[in-house]
Amino acid sequence: MRYGILLLGAPYSRQASHSALRFARALVAKGHILDSVFFYHDGVYNAARLAAPPQDEPHLMDGWKALHDEHGVKLDVCIAAALRRGLLNETEASRHGKEGYSIEAPFALTGLGQLVDLGLRCDRLITFAP
Amino acid sequence: MSKRGFAKEAEEEVRAMNDTQTDLQGDLLVILRHGPHGSSLLREGLDMALVAAAFGRRVSLLFMGTGCTALVSGQGQGPLGQKGTQATLNMLEMYDIETLLVESEAMHALGLKACDLSLPVIEVSPAQIQAAMTTHRLVATF
Amino acid sequence: MNLHTLNRSPADSRVYQQTLQAMGHDDQLLLIEDGVQGALPQLVRYFEDVEGRVYALKEDLEARGLLGLCADNVHVVDVDGFIELTEQADKTITWY
Repeated sequence: MRYGILLLGAPYSRQASHSALRFARALVAKGHILDSVFFYHDGVYNAARLAAPPQDEPHLMDGWKALHDEHGVKLDVCIAAALRRGLLNETEASRHGKEGYSIEAPFALTGLGQLVDLGLRCDRLITFAP
Repeated sequence: MSKRGFAKEAEEEVRAMNDTQTDLQGDLLVILRHGPHGSSLLREGLDMALVAAAFGRRVSLLFMGTGCTALVSGQGQGPLGQKGTQATLNMLEMYDIETLLVESEAMHALGLKACDLSLPVIEVSPAQIQAAMTTHRLVATF
Repeated sequence: MNLHTLNRSPADSRVYQQTLQAMGHDDQLLLIEDGVQGALPQLVRYFEDVEGRVYALKEDLEARGLLGLCADNVHVVDVDGFIELTEQADKTITWY
């Protein structure tokens, strides 16, 4: 089956990101297709490129990246939710006159239309919330 | 109430449900469970609804629990100019989002009446809520 | 048939009431994260209307030390069981 995940919870604040990542790994291990993870609401913080969790804690951002690298899972971040919260890629940072940037590939800034499309094109959309 | 009375009530409920059945069908049902200002969930849920509608999808909204307060008339900006959601609610009609369902039990629990709300709504029973879950292709909760 | 996930304890939040209202007669309920507290014998009574259709996520029970305290009428499933529930259900609806 083709799955999509909607993640609304911030990493390390709520369990949602851990639940979603574990579910995502189990999905692909079972042979399902995980089309995309869409990060919305506080879930956008999962894409913060400067996150530096202690070594004895799971590195959630690296976990998402690995899913992309190994299984081609798209990592889509809601642009409106991200910009408000200070999460900008290089293009947006320069457009807004900011030094430095806080999101990079494989995380991609995109619109909510992608979320609606994902929900309608997948067999299942599973939401993990704060 | 007699058994017969229950049966009659159930029958009426099903009839009422069938009457609104056409309204209850759609591509996306957005469930809104949070009031304005306290969190961004209401605004972000409404944003998803508006975007879906802008792409030509048929969208219904279901306000549940304290989410029913999202529709109370006379909302304003918050301190420091926090935007709130009144302006977004006013745009719903323009985007053809006209099916606004509110949880009947929550309205009762909150002591709210349809006349306290700024937009026309349909009060729905648990049976109608369950129907809405199956007659929409996609359900999202905020 | 739909699957409903709930991540709040009934001792803490009333969202379970909305979850129950939204559950059709053959829908299933999966308790996850803090929601697994609802599998405790003293709290599982909140879900008596859907008895037999209540599941709790094993990893979340285990992490909280609650696995041994779980009520008998709650089905315990691991993450693979969670996925199977989502396969069987037309839609998964999240309550939080």
